[in-house]
Amino acid sequence: MQQHSNEINLEQRGAITLFNIRGDLTSFSEPSLSEAYQSANEQGAAKILLKIDKKAYINSGGIAALIQILALSKRNNQNIGITGVSDHFKKIFSMVGITRFADIHESVENALEVMS
Amino acid sequence: MSARTIEVRLANKLGYERVAMACSASFAQMMGLPPERIEDLKTMVSEAAINAMQHGNKGRSDARVTVSMNCQNNILNVSVMDEGDGIKEFPPKPDIEKIIEDLESPVGFGLFLINQLADQVEFNEVTDGGHVVKMAIKMNS
Repeated sequence: MQQHSNEINLEQRGAITLFNIRGDLTSFSEPSLSEAYQSANEQGAAKILLKIDKKAYINSGGIAALIQILALSKRNNQNIGITGVSDHFKKIFSMVGITRFADIHESVENALEVMS
Repeated sequence: MSARTIEVRLANKLGYERVAMACSASFAQMMGLPPERIEDLKTMVSEAAINAMQHGNKGRSDARVTVSMNCQNNILNVSVMDEGDGIKEFPPKPDIEKIIEDLESPVGFGLFLINQLADQVEFNEVTDGGHVVKMAIKMNS
């Protein structure tokens, strides 16, 4: 059973850089998330939206990888949001404190409206 | 092992925790656990199995993780056993503020989530060797 890094496509939607994150979020996600973040940061991203697959499996390794992105975005004064999260992982993100550093949005459209 | 106990032996390789998640979810559904608690159970089982693979069995490919579950007296019990020595020192609750400020490493989320989601958790040594995490969910919680 293989675990893979993620395919992440960056898309500019107005002032917001959208990270389309395909696949599960585990400890194997860290390199691809870091690489995508570095690329967005170099292009001057000021607002970042992380779009996760609604059916993605997310474990503590993936949570740690996400938090590292939140830390980098805070250091670089970037506004960051998350969308595509199931109700269960909204609860988990609240428990671990992710929601103190990133707003969870119901949809990409809702996020674009709120973050713009 | 009682007639109504399910047992799964996992390869000690990250990713195989998903087999235990799927089995526990099917079993819990059969027993009538509400869907939102099944999601909690899947996270508990996943995190306990990952800890067993990484910290208990220390990544040894010849080691196994045994996950067993049963439902008695309206409580769903899940045990995750590894071949290690147990947890010598429990990590502190992860402090996201400190992690974000790079004052703390982003570790300890697995145990934190297990403790948050389970109605009861025990960490015990096994007489014949190994370590077991016993987690319980009340069927009507």
